Amino acid sequence: MSDHLLSLDEMKQVDGYLASGFKIHSVHENLSGMFVEFKRQEEDVCLQILTAEARKYLAAKLLEQTQ
Amino acid sequence: MADLRIDLAGIKSPNPFWLASAPPTNSGYQVQRAFEAGWGGAVWKTLGEPILNVSSRFAAVSFNGQRVAGFNNIELITDRPLEINLNEILETKKRFPNHAIIASLMVEPQQEKWHEIVKKVEAVGVDGLELNFGCPHGMAERGMGSASGQVPELVEKQTYWVKEVARTPVIVKLTPNITDITMTAEAAVRGGADAVSMINTINSLAGVDLDTWNTVPHVGGKGAHGGYCGPAVKPIALNMVAECARNPLVNVPISGIGGISNWQDAAEFMLMGATGVQVCTAAMHHGFSIVEDMIDGLNNYLDDKGIASVMDLVGQSVQRYSNWGDLDLNYNIVAQINNDVCINCNKCHIACEDTSHQCIDLYTESGRPMLKVREQDCVGCNLCAIVCPVDGAISMIEKKSTIPPMTWNERQSLISNFTR
Ligand SMILES: Cc1cc2nc3c(=O)[nH]c(=O)nc-3n(C[C@H](O)[C@H](O)[C@H](O)COP(=O)(O)O)c2cc1C
Ligand code: SF4
Ligand code: SF4
Repeated sequence: MSDHLLSLDEMKQVDGYLASGFKIHSVHENLSGMFVEFKRQEEDVCLQILTAEARKYLAAKLLEQTQ
Repeated sequence: MADLRIDLAGIKSPNPFWLASAPPTNSGYQVQRAFEAGWGGAVWKTLGEPILNVSSRFAAVSFNGQRVAGFNNIELITDRPLEINLNEILETKKRFPNHAIIASLMVEPQQEKWHEIVKKVEAVGVDGLELNFGCPHGMAERGMGSASGQVPELVEKQTYWVKEVARTPVIVKLTPNITDITMTAEAAVRGGADAVSMINTINSLAGVDLDTWNTVPHVGGKGAHGGYCGPAVKPIALNMVAECARNPLVNVPISGIGGISNWQDAAEFMLMGATGVQVCTAAMHHGFSIVEDMIDGLNNYLDDKGIASVMDLVGQSVQRYSNWGDLDLNYNIVAQINNDVCINCNKCHIACEDTSHQCIDLYTESGRPMLKVREQDCVGCNLCAIVCPVDGAISMIEKKSTIPPMTWNERQSLISNFTR
């Protein structure tokens, strides 16, 4: 998959979680990418983001969530 | 007609174009001819301790048909007696009272030596002093030039000694042979400098002769490192000027030097914070008359922009020069190819395919070869536009971002609240 398609896919997943009521709970970046923990009440999921575009997108969503 | 006069820390000159301290300002004969040609000021070839020069002295780095892309020299300061230089300064100042003559000085780092030479040159009516803490070869071995210019404490102390007796403005000329030039610029300001100038030459070896295995240049089969200048060093010099201009602790005027060859270069240095510029290599390459085009060009530029005085250019771009961490990560540009003017050399395709992001596609339309950028994969690196030989064939177009601006610093501080 091209970087662009992969980033679209990752952004779609982010949107999907947010649309279904999840909130970004924690964000960790390391050499393997960005690890985002989403929470909805007791539910907890972790998404690994690989592409630079989606890492930028996630930060924008995080900003929205804090505003 | 715009007003081209400048006032650099109290040193006035009819235009911002000065000759830098170097062979073009070696004698009264030359400086007077330069003033006749239109140069606004001259920093006299450095006066100081007795030296001897060698032969040969210069080498040029040619690149792709440009005879002097870079210039390398192993020449030291003046080899003429101080009294002869002083007489010629006196005579030149008499003939050209409104032009700026600055004495460049370099002596051993001793208080009395600085006091003595400052008094002598000021007695003949120079408009200012430039302390040469920058020469990278020959003098450095004797504790002068860049040897003292690389040590902030020595820059500060020597500037202070000069200021103890100087009655004219003191410019400290800095060496680029240092990791962070703002360190020595700040030291000069602490020592009381009225202005700083930069850059002197960069340590260099122009080349090795593949037939003889001698260095270029060589002196009877032996070489020593020299100082590099000319067009190749301009970006390095411009950054150093800009770094000093945006540093609040370097709150004195800057005289910009390094690779300035035309009015455009001069205007860029002034926009980045230089109050005036100094030129060496371009004058050595093309002669004093290049100043005519520099004056005309700058004047027309100011008129076109509706700017009344060249002093109004100074520093206008400084606030646009910031830290990488303060750049917007979400600002996007992409390449667009105009197939109507493209000559199908494919250089852009090869560059993007081999060394960037593989997003310039080749295809044919009605039998004609065409190129197209896949915008979604283009990172806007500019490489294709840089290598394209046809003006206007590739444009970099702003692409509106769907997410708001965010800098790296903003992003990191935001994320840091979520690293639980
Ligand atoms: C042959 C030669 C001799 C130079 N001699 C001196 C000198 O005596 N004192 C000094 O401060 N700078 C000296 N310089 C440095 C120039 O003043 C100037 O800082 C440098 O060449 C960068 O400007 P440019 O790129 O316009 O040449 C010399 C440069 C050259 C090429
Ligand atoms: S700007 Fe860079 S990534 Fe975009 S097409 Fe040109 S070379 Fe490729
Ligand atoms: S480099 Fe320029 S001229 Fe050459 S193929 Fe690309 S767009 Fe056309």
